[in-house]
Amino acid sequence: MTTIQKPLRSRTRQARRQRAARSPRWLLIGAEVGLPVILIAAWWFASAGSTNIFFPPLQTILARLWQLTQTSEFLIDIGSSLGNLVASFVIACLLGVLLGLALGTSRFLSWLLEPVIHFFRAIPPVALVPIFVSLLGFENETRILSITVAALFPVLISTIDGVRANDETLDMVSRVYRLTWSERLFEVVLPAAAPRILSGMQVGLIAAFVVMIASEMLGSSTGLGAKTLLAQQTFTIADMWAGILLLGIFGYLATFLFELFRRRVLRWYIAAQQQERQL
Amino acid sequence: MSTTVRRFLVGCFGVLLAIAVWQLASMIGPLAESPMPSAGEAITTMLQLLTTVDLWLSTLDTLVIAVVGLLAAIVVGVALGIAIGSSPLVMHATRVIVEFFKPIPPIVVLPIVVLVLGPTPFMGIFLVIIGCTIAIAIQTSAGVFDTDPVRKATGETFGLSRAEVLRRIVLPSALPYIGTAVRVAAPTSLIVAVVAGLLGGGPGLGQSLLQAQLAGNQPELFAYVLILGLLGLVFQGVSSLVERRVLHWHPQFRKENP
Amino acid sequence: MTSTPSTAGHSDERPVRLDVSGLKKTYTTKKGDVPVIDDLTFDLRQGEIACIVGPSGTGKTTLLKCLAGLQPITSGQATIDGHVIDGPPEELALVFQEYTRSLMPWLSVERNVELPLRHLSLSAEERRQRAASSLEAVGMAEAASKYPWQLSGGMQQRVAIARAVAYRPGVLIMDEPFASVDAQTRFELEDLCLRIREQFDMTILVVTHDIDESVYLSNRVIVLGQRPAKVTDVIPIDFDGPRDQLTTRALPRFAQLRSEIFELIRKAG
Repeated sequence: MTTIQKPLRSRTRQARRQRAARSPRWLLIGAEVGLPVILIAAWWFASAGSTNIFFPPLQTILARLWQLTQTSEFLIDIGSSLGNLVASFVIACLLGVLLGLALGTSRFLSWLLEPVIHFFRAIPPVALVPIFVSLLGFENETRILSITVAALFPVLISTIDGVRANDETLDMVSRVYRLTWSERLFEVVLPAAAPRILSGMQVGLIAAFVVMIASEMLGSSTGLGAKTLLAQQTFTIADMWAGILLLGIFGYLATFLFELFRRRVLRWYIAAQQQERQL
Repeated sequence: MSTTVRRFLVGCFGVLLAIAVWQLASMIGPLAESPMPSAGEAITTMLQLLTTVDLWLSTLDTLVIAVVGLLAAIVVGVALGIAIGSSPLVMHATRVIVEFFKPIPPIVVLPIVVLVLGPTPFMGIFLVIIGCTIAIAIQTSAGVFDTDPVRKATGETFGLSRAEVLRRIVLPSALPYIGTAVRVAAPTSLIVAVVAGLLGGGPGLGQSLLQAQLAGNQPELFAYVLILGLLGLVFQGVSSLVERRVLHWHPQFRKENP
Repeated sequence: MTSTPSTAGHSDERPVRLDVSGLKKTYTTKKGDVPVIDDLTFDLRQGEIACIVGPSGTGKTTLLKCLAGLQPITSGQATIDGHVIDGPPEELALVFQEYTRSLMPWLSVERNVELPLRHLSLSAEERRQRAASSLEAVGMAEAASKYPWQLSGGMQQRVAIARAVAYRPGVLIMDEPFASVDAQTRFELEDLCLRIREQFDMTILVVTHDIDESVYLSNRVIVLGQRPAKVTDVIPIDFDGPRDQLTTRALPRFAQLRSEIFELIRKAG
């Protein structure tokens, strides 16, 4: 089958290369850098003389953002938000992988708990925030718990899937060579499940970020989310925009940093996949 | 007894066990002093709620926001995806922008959207569109870009117009990508619809949840969360069913889901 | 090379390493018991290569899994150096047919070979040396820091063999090890197998469906009959001197043995 498809596939690749070659490289790279610059410039100039209260000039927003970062209160808010996010995400990852390993290896446990887990997974994580608020109040523990729970379920479910999809041959190899259970766990089971676990963590990270903001908006007074909502409610529009910009940048950075981590951990997997695609 | 039946029974037992643990925790555990309602109270309240018209109206609001938003996101996302995927130049030009906005959830822009649109259903729909469009556009563009150029050339030699090539060759081959993107986006749309009610004051179950919390009505608060979980399960089930129905013919889909 | 025996005649005086007697294996299914292996008896002496051939679906792989302790034996017994096999034995290594799936893609070639050595009481230095010398023996020393997926199929199977060799097993078992590589690679790997036997005085059991291969490789060919598997016959292979892909295969005796085994299999099937 593969031998029949090969000429067709190589023709496809060739055609694709030709199409890519139609536009010169400098134009493509120029466009890649150019359009974002043009868009930011467009925002800058279009909003320059804006009197619309909802859309103040970009210059005003950036000036306000700069001002805010000079105040210690604002920096404490940022620290609180990011600290909660990182701490909760790490806890969720550790807990999710541990529980996932247990459930992935024990058939009885997974049969017993999977329906309950899938139910929890189906609840929009933000909806759990009011529950934690009502049980624990407006303390920081509420936010940590909410974020952890939000990130936990994607990690847990992907770990279960990853552990269960383990290759039978590798399992036999481990048994024939009498690997100890810790060798099996760290050298075979976890690396094999790593691609799935890390995509679960990626989903979990975004959920954690959403719930970080939501938990601050729902009745906390510290944190970037709380400050942004407060600014909206008090019509300090430039402050609100500054908060939105910063939250957007943090959301992007969180995913970006995680992607760097993922590429490092999964170097073998990404390279092997690329190799397969080229064949 | 067959494995499926045994598995089902063990699963049921697990659910009962979870409810029992909840019940016990709320009665004698360390949570007995907390305002947490017992499982019995929450489930009874849920069943009562299910008989009220208000609940179904709120559910309808949430569903309308999620589904209308999702459909709009599909239309916009597929259109954008085709535009991005059909030319390497556009693909490069939009890459940085798309990559930047992709991981930013709609809750970030919620304050400004609520400010401009007010606590209306449209605000919710708009947030859903923001939340789902980019993922669908990215998948669609990948599908369009991956369309076999040989097959496209074949269509052109048979004298098909550009629109026909798009409709008969490009779109069908991008369909599995779009299907997957929609299945992934469906739960997101529900979550965003709830967020719009909970944090933006829009209509629907999110708002009911917030009101229950503000009123300190614990059993009702828990009952709403249970209902949201059930709704989430239904949503997931329906979206993967639709995907399978629409794409059952596609070899790629058959391969991925044997 | 001359000091180690390469003919069947010599090996009679050498100690028995693998001893299978009256081995039975039955699968229990809903519709009742299905016998797969019925009363199998043979042994393997130090430094001997034996091949198991038989019609496909005879339960050859099941036999190997039983010997490797991956599946319980229903009745009878198998011993390695006198120890009854009731779990994966320490003295045994297995080379799988699916080379693409038997190496860990996240470990370099070197680390793949070292992995089973970690819990043996070796110093880190000894471990590295053993891995290096095994890779040297299979001609893969330069690929030590590469990853399995960067190698061709034949090279991956070499690494899998190096891993088994580094483990220094009393008995090395191979399950159709060269079934999915091209003909040229296959010849190379067969010679590699013979070389390893010489170099490490290893006892090797190979399952194959290729009659030529069985004649070329082994001191004895064990022919299995149709399911449930039973030993139909054991054919001693008696070439003098070292084997060579060109000259050995051209011997009239080679053709004679081949047709003898072919006839046995046809009758059994």
